[in-house]
Amino acid sequence: MKVAVLSFAHERAETYARLLRDMPGIELLTTDPDDPARGRSVVDRLGASYVDTWDAVFEWSPQAVVVTSEVGRRRELVERAAEVKAHVLCEQPLAIEAADAKAMVDACDTAGVRLALASPACFGEAFATVRRGIADGVVGTLTTVHGVYRGTAEAGGALAVNAAPLLDLVDTVLDGEPAAQVYAQANSVLSGRPQAESAALVSVRYPSGKVASIDCGWSLSAADGPFVTFIGDRASVDYNANPRLLGGFDVESAGERWEPGGADLCSVMLEDFIGSSGNGQGTGPDGQAGLRAVRIIQAAYESVRTGQPVDVG
Amino acid sequence: MRRLEVALIGAGLIARLHLDAWIGTGAAVRVFSDDGRAADLAREAGARAVGSLAEALDGADAVDICTPTGSHHEIAMAAIAAGVGIVCEKPLAASTAEAEEIVDAAERAGVRLYPAHDVRFAQPYARLHELVAAGRLGAGSVGRFYFAAYHPRPWTGHVSAEAGGILTDQMLHGVDLAYWVFGDVVRVHAYYQGDIAAPAPEGAVATGTAVLTHASGALSQVVSRWTATPKPPVRVAFHVSGTGGTVRYDSEWPQEVRVADGEAGTFGYAGESVFTTEMREFAQAFAGGPEPRLGARDALAAVRITQAAAKSAWTGRAVELPVKGAAA
Repeated sequence: MKVAVLSFAHERAETYARLLRDMPGIELLTTDPDDPARGRSVVDRLGASYVDTWDAVFEWSPQAVVVTSEVGRRRELVERAAEVKAHVLCEQPLAIEAADAKAMVDACDTAGVRLALASPACFGEAFATVRRGIADGVVGTLTTVHGVYRGTAEAGGALAVNAAPLLDLVDTVLDGEPAAQVYAQANSVLSGRPQAESAALVSVRYPSGKVASIDCGWSLSAADGPFVTFIGDRASVDYNANPRLLGGFDVESAGERWEPGGADLCSVMLEDFIGSSGNGQGTGPDGQAGLRAVRIIQAAYESVRTGQPVDVG
Repeated sequence: MRRLEVALIGAGLIARLHLDAWIGTGAAVRVFSDDGRAADLAREAGARAVGSLAEALDGADAVDICTPTGSHHEIAMAAIAAGVGIVCEKPLAASTAEAEEIVDAAERAGVRLYPAHDVRFAQPYARLHELVAAGRLGAGSVGRFYFAAYHPRPWTGHVSAEAGGILTDQMLHGVDLAYWVFGDVVRVHAYYQGDIAAPAPEGAVATGTAVLTHASGALSQVVSRWTATPKPPVRVAFHVSGTGGTVRYDSEWPQEVRVADGEAGTFGYAGESVFTTEMREFAQAFAGGPEPRLGARDALAAVRITQAAAKSAWTGRAVELPVKGAAA
C-alpha cells in the first residue's frame, strides 16, 4: 500500500513516518515543501523516501495520506488527496474555520474516501474500556466531563492546537452529540504575544444538559495529558492517555524522570487507519467529528472576543 | 494577658469544630443557640451556655457566627452595634448586598471582621500562596482548583435553584483560593448540574464548574462537587501555572502517615486541625497581634464571586464584576 506523509510541521509527523516505515506492506513517501530543510533532516534520520513537491507526491498516486502540515494548509492537502482517491488521516483540528472543515468533509465524501482524525488518545483498549464502562452505566448518568491537555508551545494558539484532542474524547463518549453552547476565556501570559493565546479554558454545554470544561493551555515542560474525568451521578472515572510508568531522578537532565506508560497510541491509530483504508470502517473519530470540534473551537474564539457564551448552530 | 472572651453562636457541626479550636487557644467561650442545643455542646467542650444573643455579646471580645447563612447579617449587625469583633462562618451573607452592608458597617465602626475561610489555613494552600506571593510562579497564567466531598446528611432548609446550590456553598472554597492566588475577578461564568435546591436527600450529587477571569488576565477553573459516595470523603487538588513554573497538589498523595493496607477504621494523622491554626491566628489579632491572613474584604469578594457564579448559571450569561481601580 502506498502511503504519503504530507509535511513534518506537526510534532508527531516524524513518529508517524517512522511507524509507517516499519509497518509491513507499506510503501512510504514523504515531502515537506513548506520547510525543505526540516524535511531533509527528518528523512536523513529516518531513511525514508522523499520528494520535493506536493505535485510529485500526488502524481505518485498514494492510496492513503497522513496530513501533518500547519493547520492553514490542511484543507488544500485533504482536497488534493480526495482528488486522487486517497484515504486521509488528518491532524487535529481540520481547520480553524468551520467552512473549511465542511469543505474537507464534503470532498472526502464525494470521492468516497475515509477522512479520519489523528487523535491518538481516542484509540486503544484503555479508552475503549472507559467508553464501554460509561455506556454500561458505571458512572450512572454521565453529567460532566473535565479535561486537561497541555501541549508544548507551538506557533498556533492554545485553542487551535490543544482543544481538539479533548473535544474528540468528549465527542466519542457523547456519540457525536453536537454542542449547544460554548464559553471560553484565554490569555497570552506565557506566550507574551497577544495573537497567540497560551492559556485557554473552554466550557461546552450539550443539548442533553451535559457539560464539558477543558483546560487546553500550553505546557511549560513536556506535554501533559490528555487527562479526562468523566463524572456521573454515581461515580467518576479518570482516563489518562499519557500515564507515567516509572518515576525517579535523571542525572543527565538534572530533572524528574518520566517513563511513559500505557499503549503506543500512535501505533494503534495508524494500524487502525491503514487496516480500515480498504473497507472504510475505522474505529476512531471521523471528519464529521472533526467538523463538530472545529465548530466548537470557532465558537470558543468568538466567546473569547465577546466575553459571553456563544450558541452553536 | 486577659483571657479572650468569645461568644459562639450556633450549635451545629461547624460550631462544634470552632468551639474545640477556641478552647484550644485558651479562650473562654459562651455558647448561644436558638435551637436548644447550646447547653449540650457547651457542657461537652467545657464552655458555658447562655440564654440570649444579647447575653452572649455582653462583654465579649469576639463573636463567632456559626448559624445558618440567612441569620449571619442580623447577628453580625448586632455585634457591630455592640462593638464586638466578628468571626463569621462562610459565606458571610446570603447576598452581596447583605455582605456589603456588614463589611461597610464593620469598617465604619472599626470592628474587626474575619471570615472563617478555613482552607486558607490548610498547609498546601498556604504554601501555594507563599510561593505566588514571593514571585516564584512569575506572572499567573491558569489555575485549576478542585474540591469534591460527600455530604453525609440530607440537605435541610429551603433554598431555591436560583440561589445557586453548590456554587454559593462549597464552591466558595475554590473561588476564595483562586482570588487569594490571582487577585480580583472581573468576569465569571458557571454551569451547575445535579441537585440544586434544598431540601435534598442524603447522597445528593452536584457538580459546579466555573471559569473566573482575573483582573491580571490570569484564568481560573473552579470545580466543586458533591459526590455520590464517601469514597474518598474529601478530595482536593490544584494545578497552578505561571511564567515561573507550575505548582500542583492532590490530597490523594500520602503525607506522613497513611494506612498502607487493611481496615484500620478512623485511624490517621492529618497534622494540626485547620480550625486550630485559624482560631489561633484570629485570637492573636483580637488580642492586638498581627492581622490574620484574611479579612472583611476577602469575605466580600468571595460572596460577590460566588453570587456571580449563581447568576451566571441561572441566566446562562457570563457576569461582569466591576473592580475599583482595575482595567476590565
